[in-house]
Amino acid sequence: MPNVSNIHTLNSIKKHSAENMIEVKNLKKSFGDREVLKGINFSIKKGELYGLLGPNGAGKTTTISILSSLLIADSGEVFIENLNLRTDTNAIKRITGVVPQEIALYNDLTALENLMFWGGIYNVPKQELSQKANELLQLFGLEDRKNDRIKNYSGGMKRRINIAAALLHKPKILFLDEPTVGIDPQSRNLIFEVIEKLHHERITIIYTTHYMEEAERLCDRIGIIDNGEIIAEGTLEELKKNSPVKEIISITFSGMNNDNYKKLRSFRSDIKLTENIVHFYTSDAKTELPKLVSFCNQAGLEFNNIEILKTNVETIFLNLTGKQLRD
Amino acid sequence: MIKIVIKDLKLFFNDKGSMLMAFAVPIALITLFAFAYGGVGKGNKSNKIVLQVSDLDNTTESKEAIEQLDSLKSIQIKLKDLEDAENAIKTGEASSVLIIHKGFSDSLMAGNVLPLELKYDEAREIEIGLIQQSLIPTISMLPFRLKGSKNVIGKRLVKMTGTTDLQTQQSIQNQSDNLYDVIAKSIVESSQGNDKIKNPSSGFFGEDMKMTKIIKAEHSNRIGLVQAVAGTSVMMLLFSVVGIGLGLLDEKKEGTLKRLIYSPIKPGNILLGKMISANIMSILQLFIMFLFAWLAFGLKIGSQLPGMIITIVATSFACSAFGVFIASFAKKREQIQGLSILIILAMSAIGGSMMPLFFMPAFMQKLAAISVNYWSIQAFFDVFWRNLSVTDSVFLSRILILLLIGGILNTIAVVLFRKNILKLV
Ligand SMILES: Nc1ncnc2c1ncn2[C@@H]1O[C@H](COP(=O)(O)OP(=O)(O)OP(=O)(O)O)[C@@H](O)[C@H]1O
Ligand SMILES: [Mg+2]
Repeated sequence: MPNVSNIHTLNSIKKHSAENMIEVKNLKKSFGDREVLKGINFSIKKGELYGLLGPNGAGKTTTISILSSLLIADSGEVFIENLNLRTDTNAIKRITGVVPQEIALYNDLTALENLMFWGGIYNVPKQELSQKANELLQLFGLEDRKNDRIKNYSGGMKRRINIAAALLHKPKILFLDEPTVGIDPQSRNLIFEVIEKLHHERITIIYTTHYMEEAERLCDRIGIIDNGEIIAEGTLEELKKNSPVKEIISITFSGMNNDNYKKLRSFRSDIKLTENIVHFYTSDAKTELPKLVSFCNQAGLEFNNIEILKTNVETIFLNLTGKQLRD
Repeated sequence: MIKIVIKDLKLFFNDKGSMLMAFAVPIALITLFAFAYGGVGKGNKSNKIVLQVSDLDNTTESKEAIEQLDSLKSIQIKLKDLEDAENAIKTGEASSVLIIHKGFSDSLMAGNVLPLELKYDEAREIEIGLIQQSLIPTISMLPFRLKGSKNVIGKRLVKMTGTTDLQTQQSIQNQSDNLYDVIAKSIVESSQGNDKIKNPSSGFFGEDMKMTKIIKAEHSNRIGLVQAVAGTSVMMLLFSVVGIGLGLLDEKKEGTLKRLIYSPIKPGNILLGKMISANIMSILQLFIMFLFAWLAFGLKIGSQLPGMIITIVATSFACSAFGVFIASFAKKREQIQGLSILIILAMSAIGGSMMPLFFMPAFMQKLAAISVNYWSIQAFFDVFWRNLSVTDSVFLSRILILLLIGGILNTIAVVLFRKNILKLV
């Protein structure tokens, strides 16, 4: 009979592992004298789909590379399923699937051959592997092309196999590094559906992207990464709630030039211009709007249309960093 | 790891370019060279042939004789201890040694048969033929060329006639002394530096040079054929193994190496897998080349099969090590590809893949030892031409050197692989 305190420890361990599948503590990495990761912290629960959202060069791939043992961190700690990444590297590798940012497949092998190879190196038994490979080919809609060489595939088809190649050993954890870069909407949707299915199967997923729509659609929680730091974290709701920007006033001007833009910036500096449309970020559109309209009238700026928009991850990001997610 | 090997082989056979390079091109080259070397030895006047000379007599006369030989245009004399000289023949460094046995001077003076012996590697009949052509006239005229050997001719003639009459002997002696003056003078006049002396007594002393084969060769194969097959195969093999080695750099570029590192496979096994697939490829390629030579040109393998297998395996080991060695030097394919072609061509040229070694000047023949090609081609010559047995120490030493080269290159490759290739970033 276990005594009470034993049960307590057991429960706390269980609780711990159930809660945090991945724990990243103060991860630092420099290339030369460039500090690329400046102390990354996050933890991810089992079955959670965590989005790392950040612009080019933010450190997303570097983080994933450390988590998948491709790079070694200068300092900091990583625990995956309560295993220490530094000491239990192989045990972690066996339960992890990694989809690299670039297509990493043998172009001169067929899709099926690629899958059989990549599953094979995880020692998946042949029969099971063959079944799983065909299952994935079907899932990704490529069953009828399975005997074509990868080099004859379209970009979107390659991306699909690139993901499938990481799933053959049925990983508990999946790292997806920008898996939808440069593909057609059809492939993208298919990939989303697969990821949602995997999420449904309670696989723990880290998904990096610089598309805010993706993060909004897929992720349970989002960590916004910039310049090697996580600058905000939470569910979409939490991020929105905590953001000083709640609404966007979108004004379409009839003519926009440098002078006019300068005038507007003298009114508010955190604005965004796309063609004739200017976005003003605000926590309270109702009180801000009249002021803005009267400013425009005084400055002689004519406009055709005014809209009030809800915030999204992109505006939150812009507000946090003063930068666009994408150039 | 076996999976990596299978995948590599699959990739190789899927790539028509490297297939062409591995099989079709070498077959075409072997054919070309086999015909080209058919005429080997017909028109090479320009290079001096090295003749080792061991002077066991060590007298004024023997030295003078050597000087006479040295003045021949087509032959370059190398004085050597007999043992060294014989070893040089066994290792293929030299083709023959002319031994001036003890008693040369005495025999000369006494008019006896000269104790000269040419020990030679029968496998190199072309060179030996050339050496004989040059040596025999000179040797047969030696008594006329040496100072103080004036009455030797007479003595010998006396012996040949077998007369016991002192007066007859004296008269022969006198007449031959006169004859000596005339012939010696005409030789000096007509043959300054000219090998093709008028030979007034061809065969007169010609039989003085005893010919001894040092290596018993059955002449089962034509030298040109062996040269063509071995030379070409090894060179082309180097090209294909470097291709496989460079595949490592492609894996890095394509990102598949990354994926391999994500997996629980040990990084060392990634390299080992490459090495093994390079070896399998090499063995296969060489076998096909020799099979082709057998089918198309009648290369006689027969009892040499074990030697051939040993040589093929050792060559494959050394060459595939060279392949990964070259690749592990670079971080990118582009950095090394051009250079590797240059290195292979250079090694092939000095190592005897393109041209039989004995056509080359002596220092080049020495230099040949730094190439993989040399050891491998020589081992194939041991097998198919010198008909050495697989237990022969000369043959085994070459195999050992090939294995050593392979071992060293593999070791360096492992170290560099970690430094250059595994560091993905
Ligand atoms: N091997 C390296 N050597 C030097 N700097 C590097 C190296 N790898 C990455 N960096 C730098 O580290 C920073 C972070 O790179 P990282 O690839 O992690 O960004 P990212 O968030 O994945 O960007 P992207 O969206 O473009 O993929 C970048 O500034 C990049 O230039
Ligand atoms: Mg990246």
